[in-house]
Amino acid sequence: MKTLISFELRKLFSRRLTQAALLAVLLLSILFTSSTYRNMYAFDGKSRDGSGREAVEIDRSIAEKYAGILTDEKVQQMMSDFAPESSLDLHGMNAAYLYHNATQSAAFRRFSDLNGRWNGLTVSDVFGDEVIRIGYINGWLETSQNMTVIFLVLSLVIITMIAPVFSGEYSGVDQILLTTRYGRTRCAAAKVLAGILAALSVTAVVSATQFFPALLLYGSDGLRCSILFAPAGFLDGFIPFNLTCGTLFAYQILLIFTGAVSVSGITFLVSAASKSPMTALAVSAAAYLLPALLPVSETSSLFRYLTLLPVYHVQFVSLMSIEQISGGILYALWAVPVSLTFLGIGSLASSRIYAKHQVK
Amino acid sequence: MELKIIRLTKTFDSKNAVDDLMLTLSNGVYGLLGANGAGKTTLMRLLCGLQRPTSGKITLNGKNITGLGERYQSLLGYLPQHFGYYPDFTAYEFLLYISALKGLSDTAAKKKSAALLEAVGLAAERKHKIKTFSGGMKQRLGIAQAMLNDPRILILDEPTAGLDPKERVRFRNLISAFARDRIVILSTHIVSDVEYIAEDIILMKSGQIIHFGKPQEITAELNGQVWEFAVPAAQAERYAAAFDTSNLRHTDSGKTVLRVIADRPPAAHAIQVPPNLEDLYLFYSREAAGQSTMLTQRFRGAADQADMLTQKLTHKSEDDADQQHPFRTIRSRTEMERKINDHTNCNRIMNHEGGIKE
Ligand SMILES: Nc1ncnc2c1ncn2[C@@H]1O[C@H](COP(=O)(O)OP(=O)(O)OP(=O)(O)O)[C@@H](O)[C@H]1O
Ligand SMILES: [Mg+2]
Repeated sequence: MKTLISFELRKLFSRRLTQAALLAVLLLSILFTSSTYRNMYAFDGKSRDGSGREAVEIDRSIAEKYAGILTDEKVQQMMSDFAPESSLDLHGMNAAYLYHNATQSAAFRRFSDLNGRWNGLTVSDVFGDEVIRIGYINGWLETSQNMTVIFLVLSLVIITMIAPVFSGEYSGVDQILLTTRYGRTRCAAAKVLAGILAALSVTAVVSATQFFPALLLYGSDGLRCSILFAPAGFLDGFIPFNLTCGTLFAYQILLIFTGAVSVSGITFLVSAASKSPMTALAVSAAAYLLPALLPVSETSSLFRYLTLLPVYHVQFVSLMSIEQISGGILYALWAVPVSLTFLGIGSLASSRIYAKHQVK
Repeated sequence: MELKIIRLTKTFDSKNAVDDLMLTLSNGVYGLLGANGAGKTTLMRLLCGLQRPTSGKITLNGKNITGLGERYQSLLGYLPQHFGYYPDFTAYEFLLYISALKGLSDTAAKKKSAALLEAVGLAAERKHKIKTFSGGMKQRLGIAQAMLNDPRILILDEPTAGLDPKERVRFRNLISAFARDRIVILSTHIVSDVEYIAEDIILMKSGQIIHFGKPQEITAELNGQVWEFAVPAAQAERYAAAFDTSNLRHTDSGKTVLRVIADRPPAAHAIQVPPNLEDLYLFYSREAAGQSTMLTQRFRGAADQADMLTQKLTHKSEDDADQQHPFRTIRSRTEMERKINDHTNCNRIMNHEGGIKE
C-alpha cells in the first residue's frame, strides 16, 4: 500500500498544472506577507512616523506602553496621548476613523467622539464583564485577513491538484489499472489517501509560510491579546467574542484544514464521475464556490447551516461569528464533523464509481 | 483452465458489437482476426471485465468472472489496443507501479520489471521517460506490463501494431516461450503473426465468430478455390476487379501474377494453390464490403445442412437455456471442431440457439 500511495503522490505532483498552481500560491503567500509588511504605516502622534519595519516598531512600542488588561485609566491615558492637535482639521470626518497608529485607532473607535475627545464610555460600558488584554495585534490581524484570500486560492489549487486523481485515468490507463489485481480496490484507496495527504501537506506548507514569517515580524506577544481591541476595519466587528489572537489563529488554521479536507472530498467525487480532469476541475470549483453566491443573509436561519459549507471554512469570519457555545468553544467546531462527512462520502463514492466504471 | 463465453452480447446504442457469442477457450494461443469494427476489442474488454455484458456471461472453470473479482484479475494480463500512460514516469517506474497494483512484492517487482524490459528490448531505455518513447516502444512497454504477473490468461489487443519486423519476431518468440499452460488471446490485422504463433484462429465478423479452428483446418474451406495466374500488366486491373483478389504481384517480365479466390478457374492457365489465412481473411473482409457473392451462395446451400445438424444437437433439452445451446451438447472443443469442419458454416452452429429459424 505504501508503494501505491507513493506512486499516486508522484502522479499528483508531476502534473505541470499542479506544479504551476502550487508555485503560484506560494508566491502569492510570500507576496502578501511582504507587501502587507511594507505598506504598514504608523505615526506616534507627535514626531515619529514611518512605514514597513519602522511602522511595526512604532506600533509595538506604543502597544508596549499600555500592554496588559485594558482599564479606564489606560483609556484616559490614550485619549490624552492621542488627542488631535487643535490645528488638525478633520474636514467634518468622525475622529473614530482617524488612523495614526494601531493603538490610537483601536481606542478612538470605541472611546472617542466626533472630534477625538473622550465619548464618556467606560471599559465596562463597551466590553461588559470581559477582561480585555491588549497589546500589539495589528500584524497578526493583517496576516489573518491575508490568509482568507490565500487559502481561498489554495482551495482552488487543491481542486486543480485532485481533479485528475480519477478522471485523469479515464483517458486510457484505466484499461490497464482496472485489470490488475488491486486495480479496483487498493488502487482507489491509494488514490484517496494520496490525495488527502497531498491536500493536507500543501495546506500545512502554505500555513507555515504565513505563520512563521508573522511570528518573526510581529512577535508572539499579540497572540495572548484579545481581538476585541482591534484597530478599525478588522474582523472583531464580525466576531463578537473575546478571543485571544492566538485562539483566532488556531481556529482559522483548523478551518483552513477542514476546508481542505472538505474540498478534497468534493473533488474526489466529481473527479470519479467526470470524463476529463478539466471537467472535474470546473465542476468541483463551481460546487465549491457557488454557495458563496447564495442570497442567504446573515439574519436568515439558514445562514448557520450555509456557513458550514467548505468555502466558509476558509472565509472563516462568518462561521466564527455564529455562536460561542462556551468560553473559547465556538459553533465553528462543527466544521470538523462536516468536513469528515464530506471526505467520507467523497472518498467512498469516488472509489466505488471508479471501480465500477466501464471503459469507453 | 477453461474460459467459457456463453451467449455473450454487448450492445452500444442498439448496435451489437458482440452478438450472442459462444466460445470455449482452454490453454493455447488464439489468434483473433476480423476487420475493423468486427468486435475484437469489445470481446477482449468483456473478457477483462472492463465492460459489462448486455447479456450472457463469461465463466472461468464454471464460475462467473464477475463473482471472482480479485482472484480473476490476478490471473489476467491485458494489453489494450490504445492505452494511456504517465508521460513523466520512466519505463522502469511504470512497470514497478503496475507490479505494485498486481500485488508483486518490491523485490519481485524489480526483478520482473528488469527481466521484461530486457525481453521486450527496452533495457537500454529503462530510465527514459515514457513521453520520449516512439509508438513501437510504448507498445512494447505495454506488452511488458501485461506480463508482469505471469498471467495465466494473457489478452493482447493488436500487440504487433507499430512493431518493426525485428521486434515482431522478438514478440513471437516471447509469446511462444510464454504460452505453455496458459490461455493467450491476441488480435491482429497482420495475418502472418497469427499464422506463426496461434494454434487456433478465431475469425470475427459483426460481433460473431464466423470461423474457429486450426489455421490449416479453417483455410481448408477455400481448398481448390485459390488460383494463381499471370496476365499482362495492362489487364491486371480488369482481372482484379472481376475476382476476389487476395494478392497482386508484378514481375520483371512485365506480367502481373494474380492470386484470386474463385469457384471455377478464373483463366485457362490458372493453377490451383493451397489457401492460406490471408486468403480467408481477405475473402471475408471483401465480402463485408459487398464485393463477393459466389461463396455466400455456396454457404446458403450448406445452410440447410447446418440447420439440420444444429437441430439434431439441441432438440433434446429445451428447458435449460445453457443446456439448449450446442456448446453444452458438444462436450469437447475438438469434437465440436470436427463437426464444424464437416460443415462450412460454423457461424450458424456457434451463434444460434436451437438452430436457425430463418
Ligand atoms: N464505447 C463504444 N460506444 C459505442 N460504440 C462502440 C463502442 N466501442 C465499440 N463500439 C462499436 O462496436 C463495434 C466493434 O468495435 P471494436 O472496437 O470492438 O472493433 P474491433 O474489431 O476491435 O476493430 P479494430 O480492428 O478497428 O480495432 C464497432 O462498430 C464500434 O463502433
Ligand atoms: Mg480493436
